[in-house]
Amino acid sequence: MFSEGDLQAIWLTLKLASVTTILLMLFAPPLAWWLARSQAKIRPLVESLVALPLILPPTVLGFYLLIAFSPNHFLGRWWLSFNEHSLAFSFSGLVIASVVYSLPFVVQPLQSAFVHLDKRYLEVSATLGYGKYERLYKIIFPMLLPSFIIAGALGFAHTIGEFGVVLMIGGNIPGETQVLSIQLFDHVESLQYSEAHQLSFMLLAFSVSWLVLIYGFLQKRQQRILNA
Amino acid sequence: MLKFDIQKSFTHKQTGQTSELHFKAQVNLSGVCAIFGDSGAGKTTLLRCLVGLEPCTGAIQFSNKTWLSTDSKQLLPTEKRRIGVVFQEPRLFPHLNVQQNLQLAVNKAGHTGFSIEQLADKLGFSELLSHQTTQLSGGQKQRVAIARALLTDPQLLVMDEPLSSLDQGSKQLLLPFIKAISQQIPILYITHSEQELFYLSRHMLLVNDGKIEASGEPQQLFLNSDLSLIKFAHQGLILNVSVKGYDQSEGLIKGCLELQTLYVSAESQPDSEQIQVKINSRDVIVALQPIVGSSLLNCLSVTVEEVHMDAQKAVILTLQLGEQYMYAYITLRSFNKLQLAVGSHVYAHVKTMSIVN
Repeated sequence: MFSEGDLQAIWLTLKLASVTTILLMLFAPPLAWWLARSQAKIRPLVESLVALPLILPPTVLGFYLLIAFSPNHFLGRWWLSFNEHSLAFSFSGLVIASVVYSLPFVVQPLQSAFVHLDKRYLEVSATLGYGKYERLYKIIFPMLLPSFIIAGALGFAHTIGEFGVVLMIGGNIPGETQVLSIQLFDHVESLQYSEAHQLSFMLLAFSVSWLVLIYGFLQKRQQRILNA
Repeated sequence: MLKFDIQKSFTHKQTGQTSELHFKAQVNLSGVCAIFGDSGAGKTTLLRCLVGLEPCTGAIQFSNKTWLSTDSKQLLPTEKRRIGVVFQEPRLFPHLNVQQNLQLAVNKAGHTGFSIEQLADKLGFSELLSHQTTQLSGGQKQRVAIARALLTDPQLLVMDEPLSSLDQGSKQLLLPFIKAISQQIPILYITHSEQELFYLSRHMLLVNDGKIEASGEPQQLFLNSDLSLIKFAHQGLILNVSVKGYDQSEGLIKGCLELQTLYVSAESQPDSEQIQVKINSRDVIVALQPIVGSSLLNCLSVTVEEVHMDAQKAVILTLQLGEQYMYAYITLRSFNKLQLAVGSHVYAHVKTMSIVN
């Protein structure tokens, strides 16, 4: 049904979304916890920076990343000190860009869950003998598991739909940076409408079922727990 | 021995005023020590400071362990103090069922003197173990919360008005249970119910206006007119009565109160030679002569010791019988009609009274 190029693009997109989601799930929870609880003066600034990709045109983000990746700048120079190829137009570059681009989609559901988490549950956990960190992963994590899944799922889905940033920093290298949305764009440009239909419909079906899972099931489940 | 001397200051957000709490006391760790006082007096804050949930300064010493010492910069976190806490509301984890909630305590504490099954049986929720906590009633949840606190293998149990929102049935089940538990684990028990206070505790801390106003035996503190307790005491006092006999067929204890005879209803023969009864000051009828031909059982010959008028224009008479005192709450009109004064000799008829121990 799909051409070899399409399959390669699908595979690459899934790989990019998976790596990005794993990275985000490692450092977004502590960041979201800090944003939810901190009284620091710098917090609103950090919160704004995290939310920036929500409103910034992806091309702007991509443009600045492209500049940062160049050997004239710190990040690009540092990367080239132990790598042969530049970050621009590479899979690694795409991962970095996707992490920045999808960050708010992962942080915000977590932050919202942490804000609504009743502090009294933390107190009870302490009286049951659970230490500062132990209570987080033994009690709070299972309690907010639906929110963690929502955060991961949104980050994953959003990375799959990425276009503008990839176009700016990834270009169109099959197997390296040619992701689904770029492949689709190629099909349309070369007037291959039936191929474009196939890819578009697949992405549409995926997105709808993904969102139904998130809002129809996980979100409800989390609200039931938080409102108990 | 639990010894503490702690301070905490609050700044009210709206008024900007600061208020200072200062709690200092020593508590022997046996049985139930009640923390008694008006709402807003600082009882819950005191408890939260002792548990370590509220930051404060000063020193807390438990047995030979230091929980807090601001001077030597020592602070033992809550999770290391091994206190079982029952909050006013149950606070069960909503994502777990009853069994899993209890298991969470067991997992951390390891072996305890209690098992889940045993406690579920005693507290009557065996058939609820597989239920979600959201399906439970308030009383059921609080019973599970008490079991959870006991399963943490605590060296001290702390309870913040655990029965205040429960129905009478749950209270009647839990009060004897808590009293029995206190033989094994010392309990700090916040309450503003006199019934719970006298039933459970032999020792109390009176909290008033952010301070420990007094500590000691409840009966003694209630008789001390210098304490803020006097407004509770005016509602009724506790009297010591020696038991002379029990009539099974009538369900009546025949007692002796300062050489006068007193009959008290009781379901069974009392265990001890001494009982304590509480006579509500509104249940005392004052008469110049003994009332005859009525259903009243008890008539005590007393002397008016003190007369006190309250804000509602009612009169509180302090009545003396030998070494003990009781209060009678009468209307100003009755007071005037009977022409009472300090030193008057009258008859106090008691409608009902309750045994408190």
